[in-house]
Amino acid sequence: MQIDKQLVQHIASTARLQLSEQEINEFIPQLKEILDMFSQLDQIDVKNTLPSFHPILLENVTREDKIKPSLTQEQALSLTKHKEDGYFKGPKIL
Amino acid sequence: MAILKGQRYYKLKLSIDNNNYQEIKMITNLHNHIQAVHNQSIDIVEYTAKALEQAKAINKEYNYFTTISEELALSQAQNLKKTPTGRLAGVFLSVKDAICVQGVESTAGSKILKGYKPLFNATVIQRCINEGAIILGKTSQDEFGFGGFAVNTEIVPKNPFNKDRVTGGSSGGSAGITQKADFAHLALGESTGGSIVNPALFCGVYGLCPTYGRVSRYGLLDYGSSLDKIGPMAKTIEDIASLLNIIAGHDDKEATSATQKTEDYTKYLNRPVRKMKIGIIKDLFGDVFGDGVDENITKAIYKKIEQLESEEVICEEVSMPITNKYGIPAYYIIATAEASTNLAKYCGIRYGAADDLKSNYNEYFTKFREANFSKEAKRRIMLGTFTRMAGYRDAYYTKAMKVRTKIIEEYQHLFKKYDALISPVMPMLAPKFSELEKLTPAQHYMADIMTAPPNLAGLPHINVPIGMHNDQALGLMLTTNHFEEGKLIQIGSAIR
Amino acid sequence: MKMKFTADIIIGTEVHVQLNTNTKLFCSCATKGEDIPNSRCCEICLGMPGSKPLVNQKAIEYALKLALALHCKINPDVIFSRKVYFYPDLAKNYQITQFEVPLGENGCIILDSGRKVKIERIHLEEDPASLIHPAGMEKSQYTLIDYNRSGIPLCEIVTAPEMHSPEEAREFMNKLKIILQYLKIFDENVCVIKADANISIKESGYIRSEIKNITGFKEIEDALLYEIQRQKKAIKDNEKLIQDTRGWNPDNKTTIRLRTKETEADYGYIIDPDLVKIDITEKFVKDIQKEMPELPEQKIHKFIHTHKINEQDAKILAAEYILAELFEQIAVEVSPQLAAKWLRRELIRVVNYNKMNFSQLKIDVKHLIELFSMIEKKEITETVGQDIMNQLIIKQFSPKEYVEKNNLKTVQDIAQLESLCKEIISKNAQVAQDYKNGKQEALHFLIGQVMRQMKGKADAKALKEMFEKMIKDE
Repeated sequence: MQIDKQLVQHIASTARLQLSEQEINEFIPQLKEILDMFSQLDQIDVKNTLPSFHPILLENVTREDKIKPSLTQEQALSLTKHKEDGYFKGPKIL
Repeated sequence: MAILKGQRYYKLKLSIDNNNYQEIKMITNLHNHIQAVHNQSIDIVEYTAKALEQAKAINKEYNYFTTISEELALSQAQNLKKTPTGRLAGVFLSVKDAICVQGVESTAGSKILKGYKPLFNATVIQRCINEGAIILGKTSQDEFGFGGFAVNTEIVPKNPFNKDRVTGGSSGGSAGITQKADFAHLALGESTGGSIVNPALFCGVYGLCPTYGRVSRYGLLDYGSSLDKIGPMAKTIEDIASLLNIIAGHDDKEATSATQKTEDYTKYLNRPVRKMKIGIIKDLFGDVFGDGVDENITKAIYKKIEQLESEEVICEEVSMPITNKYGIPAYYIIATAEASTNLAKYCGIRYGAADDLKSNYNEYFTKFREANFSKEAKRRIMLGTFTRMAGYRDAYYTKAMKVRTKIIEEYQHLFKKYDALISPVMPMLAPKFSELEKLTPAQHYMADIMTAPPNLAGLPHINVPIGMHNDQALGLMLTTNHFEEGKLIQIGSAIR
Repeated sequence: MKMKFTADIIIGTEVHVQLNTNTKLFCSCATKGEDIPNSRCCEICLGMPGSKPLVNQKAIEYALKLALALHCKINPDVIFSRKVYFYPDLAKNYQITQFEVPLGENGCIILDSGRKVKIERIHLEEDPASLIHPAGMEKSQYTLIDYNRSGIPLCEIVTAPEMHSPEEAREFMNKLKIILQYLKIFDENVCVIKADANISIKESGYIRSEIKNITGFKEIEDALLYEIQRQKKAIKDNEKLIQDTRGWNPDNKTTIRLRTKETEADYGYIIDPDLVKIDITEKFVKDIQKEMPELPEQKIHKFIHTHKINEQDAKILAAEYILAELFEQIAVEVSPQLAAKWLRRELIRVVNYNKMNFSQLKIDVKHLIELFSMIEKKEITETVGQDIMNQLIIKQFSPKEYVEKNNLKTVQDIAQLESLCKEIISKNAQVAQDYKNGKQEALHFLIGQVMRQMKGKADAKALKEMFEKMIKDE
């Protein structure tokens, strides 16, 4: 697996991380070693195997369309300093 | 449940301080303690004050807590004094930081969640509180469970037998306080890839990781949602069974909660093991980690196997070639892929830490996440983001899910013949902090070779302490088929 | 895969429909209520750490109904995925949606021209929160976020690029809306339909632009019309078109580039491990099919063949669910032809005049039956009938009692009418003369005079005959 600075930066920006130069240089060999280990999976044949997205069989769990009380506006906003007039405040778009 | 506020709390605190509760002799036996609370032969408020005092003193030396929930504990004790009921009446419960306790800071050991006081209780917490448990505090852990040594966090817990050694992780704080607490105490840990049995081993306590879905995850701060399991940690296997009885069972708030019937796990305690069949995973005693498994571990475990054989348990060596070769990569691919999406929500808007809103959303999120995730969290987010990217997804993420099926099949094949499997928990005994520094991240991950597979397959497993080697605790791991926690208790209680 | 297009214009759409469930897709918060921000949210739709989603059964049923109504192939499992992207309106910075396997595939909607528009897929997903930019998107220093919308169930309907004009796109949307109304899974007054539309033209070799987030059917047509002009102009000016994603500004009716293909996000989909697959068994599909109402095509067929009304009336009535319902109830009491005529002309007229839509209509069908049967029996004139219709849409009352109380029955007394006509002719001798000389409007004036005195209670046709005879005989 070819791991270079460009790929590391691309992954970081997709994940919204801004790695420092030092971190990038540290990560390149580390990720390479780990991904080499991941690549062991190339050796096993799973052509006729279905994926297990959970380790046990789980299916058909739904709930009724019945309204339950929501949080109050005050409770909803109680864990942040970023609020104004009943709204959460978030960073600007542009 | 009302939390004591302001004046009332300080009044209570003053009255406790004036009392000479230091003289109190704590009851360490869970059963006796609960009885004493039920028949009101002890003042649970005073006992709570003393337990808090002890927890603080231990914490000063060992860093087992991120928060000691003094106010909550005292208010619960007050309520309990009035109505002394519940199957855990007055038992002190330490909770891994990743499990939500309403109104108590719950950060999963991460800076990014500083100040997050959940508006709700995790289902397991609610169940324990309903049974009269008193929440002592939130325990230190690797950030979001990212680690096997509890060093990837700001508050690093220290091994109860030697402060230069690690507690193991990620549920290190829960394991450490369980060993050190000198009062009726239980702990909740959480395991994604071994985070219950690993610190249980290093701290010399029992730790049981149940079947995936057996214990509700509602209120657990997610690491890998298809892998995460909450489980009990305690000094005795009796206590493990008692706590499991309370936390196991279906939760209709959670889609991945199992609907299978629960059992009274205490019924399995000391049940005869004659004619039971145990497979010894021989590959895991060999050369799995460079220099191989620490020979003291192998020796100690085989001694216990001999003991079981003397009780007519049939023990045979088995091999798991697929599991032991592919378990680690499949586990780390799935765990990091899921984790990297679970951690996307941490962006400094609705809860937890926050910056000033100066830049646009991309810059804001990026800077905030960069500043507040630890290096290991970043590494795993990077890995997980990569393995689910278009173009790589099938080769890593989807393939790992298929390999998981293969591994489950390999286990199921063995469980047709065997009641349980036996193996070491970790390839090494509790290392010193200084020894860890030499390992690369990949080598860190490889240390999960014994614990990652049963976690990947969602199988219940337990650490059974089997003595000490100098200042290092010894233990063995039992693994059983899905929903056979009972057999873990049965065989675990037969190992002396 | 390169598609082979030949048409001048190629349009495809992705439509997002809010479903009219009581609660959100993954939590039990109400989907509608008072206009107070962040008053309908909980730990789940706010994405609070520790919370977990649980699927609303009703949302699956609604989406399944739509998939069946659009003739889709239904997949046996409902599986949810996480679509990861970072934006302030996403509570978890991922949206729970369906990716690998949609709920339904390969459906269609048939346009009036008889052309089929293929539905490639239809799936369920959660709506993000709503964002407010206090000083406009360009100038705001922060956004305000309201999570009331976060988690409302959306059905996404993706068409093949098979529409050839903005009008067709609008017709497609209209047809879809009518089906949603019939299925009762969409409330026009509360729920929102939004669309993304992609469009390309032959001249460019079909280099497509995608226009995001258009609300309203007229807007879709306008945005597409603008985009065709823009693309044509670019070709004419020798500009190179590149595949891009654009935003629609309804204020100045233009589109602006948001991003080009190169910067398209990598969503890194995974199966949502907090949710489990839901079987769509044959039995479940059959049960839903049993609950399915008659759809517009079936209604039109029935109106023409059972109620014997003409095709045009049938289509107009079937195009509004409420109108179709009213028609069926009324047509058993009065002549279907009269009911059809009065509903499609007069009811539509007053609804439009009052700037309402049909879902806001509060009218008692038994009042309409009273009204129409009085018209049918000629107990009242059409003029009186129209006047009653004007009022009936504003307040509810019994037309029968109203007619009696206000003495509005058609005057049947020929002698009385004749003497009134004579009186009018004598008062307006010149007008009568004008009519005699061939000026047709003059007759209308005379009839109008009688009508005014009779307060509309005379039969205009009878009056016309009466005047014609009198003036001719003079």
